[in-house]
Amino acid sequence: MGLVNRAVKNISRRKIRAALVIIALSISLSIMISIPAGLMANQETTNALTNNLSSTITDTSESISQALSQIDVTLSSRFAGFGFRQESSSSAGSPSGQMPPTGQGSDRYGGFGGGDIAGQFGGMSQAGTPMNASLYADINSIKNVATVAAVLEVSEGSKNQTLSMMGQSFSMQITDYIIKGVPLTSELINSYNVLPSNIVKGRNLQSGETGVVLLSQNNSAFFNAGVGDIVSILNVDFTVVGIYEPTSFSDNLVLYMSLLDAQTITDNTDYITSLRVFTTSSNTVDLVVEDIRTLHPEVTVTTGQERLNQLEFMQSRYDETLESAQASLASTQATAIQEIIVVVAATSLIVLFVMLYTVRERTKEIGTLKAIGFSNRTVMAQFILEGLLLSLIAGIVGVVIASFAAPTLSSLLLPSVSSSFGLAAGGGAGGSAVAAVSTVSLNVELVVAALGGAMVLGILGTLYPAWRAAKIRPAEAMRYE
Amino acid sequence: MSDIVLQIENLTKTYHLGKQPVKALTDLSLQVNKGEFIAIMGPSGSGKTTLLNVIGCIDKPTSGRVHLDGIEVANTPENKLYKIRQDKMGFIFQSFNLLPYLNARENVELPMESKVASKTERKKRASELLSIVGLSGRENHRPQRLSQGEQQRVAIARALANEPAIILADEPTGNLDSQNKREIIKLLANLNLTRGTTIIMVTHDSQVANHTERMLLLKNGKIVMEKEGLHVAKKQSRCPYCDASIKVGDENCSTCEKALFETDELFVK
Ligand SMILES: Nc1ncnc2c1ncn2[C@@H]1O[C@H](COP(=O)(O)OP(=O)(O)OP(=O)(O)O)[C@@H](O)[C@H]1O
Ligand SMILES: [Mg+2]
Repeated sequence: MGLVNRAVKNISRRKIRAALVIIALSISLSIMISIPAGLMANQETTNALTNNLSSTITDTSESISQALSQIDVTLSSRFAGFGFRQESSSSAGSPSGQMPPTGQGSDRYGGFGGGDIAGQFGGMSQAGTPMNASLYADINSIKNVATVAAVLEVSEGSKNQTLSMMGQSFSMQITDYIIKGVPLTSELINSYNVLPSNIVKGRNLQSGETGVVLLSQNNSAFFNAGVGDIVSILNVDFTVVGIYEPTSFSDNLVLYMSLLDAQTITDNTDYITSLRVFTTSSNTVDLVVEDIRTLHPEVTVTTGQERLNQLEFMQSRYDETLESAQASLASTQATAIQEIIVVVAATSLIVLFVMLYTVRERTKEIGTLKAIGFSNRTVMAQFILEGLLLSLIAGIVGVVIASFAAPTLSSLLLPSVSSSFGLAAGGGAGGSAVAAVSTVSLNVELVVAALGGAMVLGILGTLYPAWRAAKIRPAEAMRYE
Repeated sequence: MSDIVLQIENLTKTYHLGKQPVKALTDLSLQVNKGEFIAIMGPSGSGKTTLLNVIGCIDKPTSGRVHLDGIEVANTPENKLYKIRQDKMGFIFQSFNLLPYLNARENVELPMESKVASKTERKKRASELLSIVGLSGRENHRPQRLSQGEQQRVAIARALANEPAIILADEPTGNLDSQNKREIIKLLANLNLTRGTTIIMVTHDSQVANHTERMLLLKNGKIVMEKEGLHVAKKQSRCPYCDASIKVGDENCSTCEKALFETDELFVK
């Protein structure tokens, strides 16, 4: 139709002005596209972190409550002078890398049952400080103790990875797997939960076995080995008898074998890292703990109850951090809304003034059109169409700009949530959270919304000028200057 | 007796500039027959443009009746007037008022846009009209590539587009040199003769006015004088000077050899 034809001709008639409008509009639009994209990325990071933390906490609390009548005895780290060779080969790396930078309570995490929980912090594990097996006899003789399982837990890792977090970089060893040696006596296997219960393939370890290993699903993938296969652990061959599904996060990397095998292959004969004390009932836990502390003040005693308390503390820390992350997300959203309002207003004003100017400039032309029989409606449509076309072109240019400038623009315009997450995620989840923030992506809905937004802005900015145009008196055509 | 195409009775138009009312037209009456070629003359501010605007449905009268080709314009609501302009009126302006970004043919097509649905039909008609005004072959030229006289011809073709009942021209020759002036007045006169187009033309130029059949003199919003012009004779195919018979399109009378459309020196009284 003639309207479109004329609109196009009019736009191309004032090329520089059209170009200026298109540039201004498209920049505004690319900002408008980038802000929601950045917001979405931040939102996703928050969600991912929330899910990650809450599932960790749930997993851990489940595994702890299973074992309320258990006591774990480890040596606290300041006695770490036992001349133990494992320190250099497979310790959990530098303490700074493993401790959450929350600072407070960090040595509690360290003593968290000799690696039971440590695994969740970015796949690192602390095997605990080795101690002499003679402790075993002392503790076994305490009243109300049903039995004691001596456990040796050693982390093995290969790759060194440098993580950069909050401006600091940490070098740490990534744990590939954790060797856990438990005494394979029929009493312990049958009556106490020293071995995992969720066997998904093959069978569990059996009393008196040696040269065999029970892998977690993670281990199975790591070794690329199934039931019946031979795996080489520290250069010693073991037959895989079964694969279990970990019930807690901390078990993910743990493979089970007999204590003797573990001590032999890790060169830790007569050493253990923890004692798991089973009391006669959960009521006697406190009594036993007291006796252990009197007898051996140097050891760290952790009960299931204490672990729950620690977990709750940890949870409250996480809750706080999450809250602050969410608050910062909310303030980011508020900023975004303000910015979008400013951009929308500025854009509409640009269109408004340019179109007003155009209408003024074309007063005589419009008067002529009306004198020769154009209706108000047609004149109005003519101008709205022009504004619409301009903004549509600008919209497309804006999408193109945003498609490569969105991350830059959104990071310029929005405070990133990742900075507040560094705190919460410090231990290990941080790595992935930081990565998530930078992936600002444009999707189809966003692009469609942007083009729609462009047209709305175009119409908003053109409505009044078009109305003014429609109101121009045809007598203006007669004016001679 | 010819058909009456325009009947104006007791027309008054008062503008309000601030508190001061300006009486542009006072109690004016006028009757125009179909096929008349009329010139309106008068000093500046006498109300010529105002009268043209009221006739052309661009302005509404303050009081009085304006009966236009069977329609009472004074009673027509503002939002319907455009339709009357479209159907009944053809406007010719002093400064041509062509759209600079459209070529000659597209300019002529403009008034037909909402009346003739077919694009090809519009093109065809526009080309026909351009050839009537002597511009065949110039269809695709934009206004800036046409001379002033040619631009006014395009504007005349545009005014003819919807076969209007009346063509209204406000100083159509006001911007033209004598050569172009003569061409345009000749074109209008011939359109009136051959197609019977009713033309009401405002002009300051008495020589131009003299080529119409009826000259009206406006003063203070009133018609104060009426006079016959040379066109009366031409309508009867007679030379206005020697009464010998002439043909439409003749430049000079074949008998007395006087120029039939001389606008510079001819009119001496
Ligand atoms: N829109 C308007 N508002 C106020 N006054 C007006 C308006 N249009 C015309 N007038 C006044 O009405 C009177 C008649 O004006 P008009 O334009 O009809 O004169 P004109 O005969 O066409 O003059 P010119 O030969 O200078 O074109 C003038 O006094 C003019 O100032
Ligand atoms: Mg005038």
